[in-house]
Amino acid sequence: MNVRAWADIYATQIRIAIADQFQYRVANYFYMIGMIAEPIIYLVVWSTIARQQGGQVGGFTPGQFAAYYIVWTLVRNMNIIFTPFGWEERIRQGELSGMLLRPIHPIHWDLGYFAGWKFVVIVLWLPLAAVLAFLFSPDLDPRPIDIAVFAVAIWGAYLIRSVVYWILGMLTFWTTRVGPAFELIFTAELLLSGRLVPLSLMPDWAQQLANVLPFKWTFGFPIEALVARLPEDQLLGGLAMQALWIAIGSVGVALAWRVAIRRYGAVGN
Amino acid sequence: MTTSSPAGPAIHVAGLRKTFRVPVREAGLVAAARSLVRRETREVQAVDGISFDIAPAEVVGFLGPNGAGKTTTLKMLSGLLYPSAGEALVLGHVPSRRESAFLRRITMVMGNRNQLQWDLPALDSYDLIRAIYRLPTDEFRRTRDAFVELLDLGGLVNKPVRNLSLGERMKAEIVGALLHRPAVLFLDEPTIGLDVTMQKRIRAFVADYNRQTGATVLLTSHYMADVQALCRRVVVIHHGRILYDGALADLATAFGSMKTIGVTLREGAVDLSAYGEVIGDEDGRILLRVERAAAPDVATRLLRDMPVADLTIEDPPIEDVIEHVFASAAPTE
Amino acid sequence: MSSPTVERRRREPLRPLRLFGLFLRVSVLNELQYRANFAIQLFQSAIALGTGLAVLALVFGQTDELAGWSQPELLAVMGVHVLMGGIIGTFIQPNMVRLMGDIRQGTLDYVLTKPEDAQVLVSIREVRFWQAVDIVIGGVVLAFAVAQLGGGVGPGQAVAFATALLLGAVMVYCFWMLLTITAFWVVRMDQIVELFEGVYQAGRWPVTIYPGWLRISLTFLVPIAFAVTVPAEAVTGRLTPETLALAAGFAALLLAVTRAFWRIGLRRYGGASA
Repeated sequence: MNVRAWADIYATQIRIAIADQFQYRVANYFYMIGMIAEPIIYLVVWSTIARQQGGQVGGFTPGQFAAYYIVWTLVRNMNIIFTPFGWEERIRQGELSGMLLRPIHPIHWDLGYFAGWKFVVIVLWLPLAAVLAFLFSPDLDPRPIDIAVFAVAIWGAYLIRSVVYWILGMLTFWTTRVGPAFELIFTAELLLSGRLVPLSLMPDWAQQLANVLPFKWTFGFPIEALVARLPEDQLLGGLAMQALWIAIGSVGVALAWRVAIRRYGAVGN
Repeated sequence: MTTSSPAGPAIHVAGLRKTFRVPVREAGLVAAARSLVRRETREVQAVDGISFDIAPAEVVGFLGPNGAGKTTTLKMLSGLLYPSAGEALVLGHVPSRRESAFLRRITMVMGNRNQLQWDLPALDSYDLIRAIYRLPTDEFRRTRDAFVELLDLGGLVNKPVRNLSLGERMKAEIVGALLHRPAVLFLDEPTIGLDVTMQKRIRAFVADYNRQTGATVLLTSHYMADVQALCRRVVVIHHGRILYDGALADLATAFGSMKTIGVTLREGAVDLSAYGEVIGDEDGRILLRVERAAAPDVATRLLRDMPVADLTIEDPPIEDVIEHVFASAAPTE
Repeated sequence: MSSPTVERRRREPLRPLRLFGLFLRVSVLNELQYRANFAIQLFQSAIALGTGLAVLALVFGQTDELAGWSQPELLAVMGVHVLMGGIIGTFIQPNMVRLMGDIRQGTLDYVLTKPEDAQVLVSIREVRFWQAVDIVIGGVVLAFAVAQLGGGVGPGQAVAFATALLLGAVMVYCFWMLLTITAFWVVRMDQIVELFEGVYQAGRWPVTIYPGWLRISLTFLVPIAFAVTVPAEAVTGRLTPETLALAAGFAALLLAVTRAFWRIGLRRYGGASA
C-alpha cells in the first residue's frame, strides 16, 4: 500500500483520537495532576540530598533535578500506550474479532489513536509545566540541537514502548494469569529507565544493564537529551539506539502476532 | 495468488470440522486437587464435517439452536477461526490466510458488537472506514449517503453514537459494515434485540443490497421472520452437522410429519381430544395436531360429526418444525 | 420525644464497635474463599516493598541522613507509611468507594432505611481483608527499623505511637469522607482514588523535607503528616506533647466538620430523590 494511503489512515485515526480525548479533557487533567505527585516527591528528596552534599549529587544540582523531573512529566505522558492488560478485555469482549476483520494490522489503530491522544496531552501539559517551573525553578537551558533531538526522541520513546508492550500483551492469548509477569516487567522498567532517579545515580551494574534494555531509551534518554547537555555523539547515538529498538520491536511484533493469531484461530475466545 | 472464478461458487465448504479442547472441571475437593496437577480436557466437536456450496448472489439462512455450530462456521468462513479439518473457500480465497484482498471483499455483522466510536458521530467512524479500505472519496460519499437515506438515518449520523437508541445504533453499524461494498456478507443475528419495525427496515436493506450488488449473503438468526423474509434456501445445522440444506418452502414437507387442523365450532364447547392432540384453544378456535397422513381422514370425521363453522388444514409454523427437527435429531457424543 | 431507636443508641455507646466486629467477621469469612486474592495481594505488596527499599538503598548510597532523619529512622517512616496504607486500604478506602457508588446510583436509600446511624454504617460495612497484608508488612519493617535504632521503644512511646496512629487514621477517614460527601453535589468522582494514592506517596518521606507551602498542604489539607510522619516521630523519639495535642485537636475538629457536612449532604440527597 502506498504512502498516501497510510498517511490518510493515520491522519484520520489521529483526528478521531483528538476529537475523542478532547471530550475527556477534565478526566485527562485529573489523571495528569495525579501523576505529578511522583516526580515532585523525588524532586524534593534528591534536591534535599543535593543541598546536604554541598550543592550536587550524581552530577545534578537542585536546579537540574527540577529540570529533570519537570521534563519527566511530559516524557511520562508520552510513554503511555495501550496497556498489555488491555488484551484480556479485547479478546473477551470480541473487540479483537472486529479488528481482525479489517484488512490492516491492528497495531496501526493503537499507534494512531494513542499518537492523536498525545497531541491533546501535550496541549494540556503546557500550563501545568509552567506552574511547576514557577514553583521549582528548574535550571533549563537547552541548545537548538537538544530541542530537536528531544522532539524526535519523545516520539521514538512512544514507538519503542508501543511495540515492546504489544509483544508482551500477546502472552494473554495463552493465559489470563499474566498479571505477575507484567508487574515484574513494569517494576524492572521503573528501576532501569531513569524514571525513579536519573540513571547516573544508579550503581554501575544497573547502568550497564540499563544500556542493553529498551527502557532507558524510552525515558532517561529523552529527558537527558533536553536537560543534560549531552555531547553530540551521545545525542545522535541515543537516536540510533531508539531506531534499533524500534526495529527489533517491530520484528518482534510481526513474529509474535503471527503466532498469537494462530493460537487465537485455534481456540477462539 | 487466488482469484475468484466467475462461474464457481462464492462460498465452497467441504468436510469442514472444528474441534475445541474444553477443560473438564468436576466438583469436589479431590477433583480440584487433581486438577492442580493435571488439567483434564475433553474434545468438543463444534462443527462436525459440513459441506455446502453457495452461489454468488444467493441469500442463505443458517438455522440452528444455540451451540449448533452456526457462529463457529461463520467465524471459519471469515477467517477468525482456523478449521481443524476440511476445506473452505470464499471467493476463491482460503479465509484463514486472512489475505488483505480477501478481507476487503467480505464483511461480518455480529448482532451486539459495536465497531463505531462510542463518543463520536458515526460519520467520523465512516471516514476511518473510507481510509482503511482505500475507497475513492466520491464513490464513498455516494454510497454512504445512499445507505443513510435508505435506512432513514438522516441527522442521526451527526450525533455521538452513545446518544442513539439501540435500533438507530444497529442501523448505523450496518451502514458502516457495508460501506466498502463487500461481495460476501456474513450476518450473525443482525436483528437481535431490535423492535419489529427496525427488524423490517434492516431486512429490507439487506435484500436491497443483495439485489443491487449481487452480493452473497449468509445469515444466521433466531428470528424465523428474518429467514422467511430474506432466504429462499436454508441450511439447518445441529450438533455441528447439517440436517437439511434446501428450499425453505420444502422444509415443512421434509420434516413436518404433522399437520395443524384449526376448527371453529358453530356452538358449544366440545372436547376434541379424541381427534388429535389439542395444542391450542383460543376465541373458540381449537388447534389440533395430527399426523400428516391422517389429516384428511380426521378432517372428514370432524366435518361429519361436529357442528363445524370453519376448518383449516395447515403446515405447522416453521418454528415448530425446527423445534421438532432439533428434538428428534439424536446428538452424537 | 425519643424513638426506641434513639433510646437504644443512648444505652449502647459502643454499638458502632459491635457493628464493626460483625461486618469484619462477615468480610473475613467471605474473603477466605478467595485464596487467589491473597497470593495476588502478597505479590503486589512484595513488589511495592521491593521498590521502596530500592529507593531507600539508592538514597542511603548517597547520604547517611535526610533532613536530620537517620537511615533507620527513614526506614521507620517507610514502615509506618506501608502500615497506614494498609489501614486505609483495608478499612477506609473500600467504604468510601462503595459510598461513592451508592450516591451515584441512588442505592444509598437502602442504608438510610436501616435503624443504625447512616454515617457509621457507610463507614464500617466494607472491609477489604487482604489489604491487611500491608499492615503486617508495614509492622515488620517498622519493627526492624526500631530494632536498628537500638534504643527500643518504651511503653510511653508505644502508647504515643498507637495514639498518633489512631488519630492519623481518623483524620484520613475524615478527609476521605469529606471528599466523598461532595459526591452528593458533584456526582463524578472516579479519579479521586488515583489522586489520593498519588499524594499519599509523599508520606513515604518525613514531611519536613518539603518546601513550606507543600508541607502545610500535606499537613492540614491532606493530613499525610498526621497519618505518617507524626506516628513515625513517636517511634523515633521526636514527638512533642504539643504535636500530639495538635493532632488530637485537629482530629476532633475534623470529626465534627465531617459530621456536619454529612448531615448537609444527606439533606441534599433526600431532596434530590424527592
